[in-house]
Amino acid sequence: MTSAWLSWPRPPLAATPREPVVTKAAMQRISFSGPQARALWQPRLERLGATAVAIELEMVRRKQIAATLLWTAYDDIEALTERASTISLHAKPIKASLGYAADWPLEASIGEPKRLLDYAVLIGTVSLDAPMAEPAGDDPVQVAMRFGYPACCARSWADHLRRGGSDPLAAMLGREDKTGIHAHVALAVLGLGPVRHAPCSTDCSATQDRARSFLDLGRELGFVEEIGWLEEIADWPLGASLVNGIAELKTAAFRCTWLSDEGAPRARKAAPALRAERGKAVAIGLGDSDDIIAELGAGCEAVGFENAFAMRSRFSTVVWEQTAALRHAATAVHVGCGDGLLLELIAQTRPKLTLYGTEEDSALAEAARRRLGPLSRVLGGTGGEALAALAGLAPEGIDLAFVDPERLDDGEALAAIRATTRTVIVIGTDRALHRFKDMESLAASMGLVLLPGRAARVSAALSPAMDRLH
Amino acid sequence: MTVEVRPLGDKCNIKCRYCYQEGIRTAGNVPKRYDLDAIMATLDRLAEPFSLFGGEIMMTRRPDLERLMQLGFDRHGGVGMQTNGTLIEELDIELFRKYRVRIGISIDGPGPLNDARWAGSLPATRRATARSEAVIETLCREGMPPNVIVTLNRMNAAPARLGLLCEWIGFLGSLGVRKLRLHLLEQDETEGGEGLALTAQENLAALRQLRRLEQKLPSIQFDIFAEMAAMLRGDDARTSCVFHACDPYATRAVVGVESDGRLGNCGRTNKDGVTHLRASREAFERQLSLYRTPQDNGGCQGCRFFLACKGNCPGTAIGGDWRMRSVDCPVWFGLFEDIETELLASGETVISRSDRRPELEAKMIAAWSIGDNPALHSLLQPAEAP
Repeated sequence: MTSAWLSWPRPPLAATPREPVVTKAAMQRISFSGPQARALWQPRLERLGATAVAIELEMVRRKQIAATLLWTAYDDIEALTERASTISLHAKPIKASLGYAADWPLEASIGEPKRLLDYAVLIGTVSLDAPMAEPAGDDPVQVAMRFGYPACCARSWADHLRRGGSDPLAAMLGREDKTGIHAHVALAVLGLGPVRHAPCSTDCSATQDRARSFLDLGRELGFVEEIGWLEEIADWPLGASLVNGIAELKTAAFRCTWLSDEGAPRARKAAPALRAERGKAVAIGLGDSDDIIAELGAGCEAVGFENAFAMRSRFSTVVWEQTAALRHAATAVHVGCGDGLLLELIAQTRPKLTLYGTEEDSALAEAARRRLGPLSRVLGGTGGEALAALAGLAPEGIDLAFVDPERLDDGEALAAIRATTRTVIVIGTDRALHRFKDMESLAASMGLVLLPGRAARVSAALSPAMDRLH
Repeated sequence: MTVEVRPLGDKCNIKCRYCYQEGIRTAGNVPKRYDLDAIMATLDRLAEPFSLFGGEIMMTRRPDLERLMQLGFDRHGGVGMQTNGTLIEELDIELFRKYRVRIGISIDGPGPLNDARWAGSLPATRRATARSEAVIETLCREGMPPNVIVTLNRMNAAPARLGLLCEWIGFLGSLGVRKLRLHLLEQDETEGGEGLALTAQENLAALRQLRRLEQKLPSIQFDIFAEMAAMLRGDDARTSCVFHACDPYATRAVVGVESDGRLGNCGRTNKDGVTHLRASREAFERQLSLYRTPQDNGGCQGCRFFLACKGNCPGTAIGGDWRMRSVDCPVWFGLFEDIETELLASGETVISRSDRRPELEAKMIAAWSIGDNPALHSLLQPAEAP
């Protein structure tokens, strides 16, 4: 089978269309809406293209139209000529156009430029010359009618050509009112038929008659299935638009696009301006920067961090590392909880956990209460007092205690914590990790033993055997 | 070309209020299953390094994810991964190390600065953010510092918050993060994104401040500024897709490998809830049109930065219509001007002010007209002597 595309629309041709082979361009720019749509419609579109060529050639053979114009690659001209001759038609290349680089035969070289071109081949019952397809060669209305245009459409197309137009469909899309563009008219750009000429309007009855004739001939030639598909396409809802000279058609099965000379705005020059209208009105509540700073984390230096970001990141990492421990716990305490950030992060992960905090710094303790809300249990006072109060609040003990050992007054404090909690998680602050490099060194410097297992980066459980600082 | 593997398409565990994939999810076009063998067969055929992408890639079953990582490691020595980080677990860290996974974490800032990356409720959002922060620190401590992608929006870069964002980026640098990608918020007309976009002036001010920050933070690189300078020099060998004449019908820079192994386009250009398949031919209607279309009509006519910018990403086009230039044009224009001024002051040649600009533009237009897209630096090479 030859690779040939029907010209769109039928001649007379425009003088300088941007896409000489618009049908090929549009076909190659089909983008299917999904694999099912592609599996169904890609082979159908290919068969419809071949069917349209066969119907068009038969119209020429029956002298319903004087000739037709097909585009093909250099390597396929011979095959197309042979095909025409088998049905007693004459084929003659009349013009050429530089094709797309991606289509160039791999073996073609710049020294053989003819193979890089697409060729328009005029096919008729007798040998024909190029002028019969050109608007300048004859009265364009008569030329159009010879190629199968109804009189109304011939006049309309000839007028459009005289005004320098080139792309009938894009011109239609460029009009204000695009309602009612029939799928057969819009998709005519793909060269599938049944509309083969530039219609004078979206609802031209003569065009509809010509389309019916095309379908009838197809059926007569045995393309029953293909004609059924074309009739299915007729009912498709269609989106069609032209923006800055780029036409786009959208159906449920695919979209396609092509560049047109129609609708290209005329030249003007202006510098882009900074436009204040972008971004719309702010509909999202934003706290002021002080609120945000407080929310990110306050009092970080007091609890051993260089800045609020480091504290938030570290505490987030502690919660992440201790996910499993938190999952099995019902109660937890952060000893020296600062502004309550770690407890808040734990609460976000395990909202049903009962949480306690202790904090000697009264301002930070108050910040923690604000952060954690009225139900928070943040205990102030000295470490010993707070831990004693905690023992009273949780007589059955606490599952997890998060502790920065550097903030503990002495070994007795750890013993007091161990007395009320089942597992102690040691936290590495910036201060501690800068000083000791890693958790193992931190623990070792204090005579602590961490639970064996995977390397803990910023937190680790204290071995149950450890009940006091050395 | 970046190959993005998307076993679960746009499926995600969070619901960023500005996400460009929301249209696809709303339309219900998210795969429920995937065919790993088909995906791997496609990757074999493409024979290109790839990135694991989404939606959220960590929603993929771990054994399947590991097979993909292993394929990337065996064929290409490693694999990229873009994730929000919220689903990464301790065991995943070892997989990342084993298969040399290069992680990119999408996060807009710490705590409240990341609230636009919504996870269903405020506590859930903050929990998710904390997990992302934890993963960044953990990866840094494990010697695998992630790249970080930050989308500028009102929650993290409004004038009152921009200083905090800069401080946080400084902190990331101290942790070990070395590369940071800045995105402007893609202005889709999603209800959730209403009010999140910065104005053009705010975006420009934010980027200018971040550019000054980059000069103060030698350890961390924002790739966007270096890329813009490279484009002005005519060196597009290693710059991002947004500067490379993207065709939304067949995105060259980004190819998606979807759940059934088929090839898809970059998701940024999906505006109507449909993940269209790639067209059989790449073409440059958009650039040809933008070049000839006056700026008042959404084009780029007469812009001296056209060769460097090319209308930028079609996913950010005015009104969501890929045929228009980027809605962020004033921001890019302002930044290009800044960088151009500095390059000229340091005695460098820039294509935007070069006498050769008309000739270069003509060559590029001619190439695009036949469907070719030559590298800018190749056009700058002097013709070889006969």
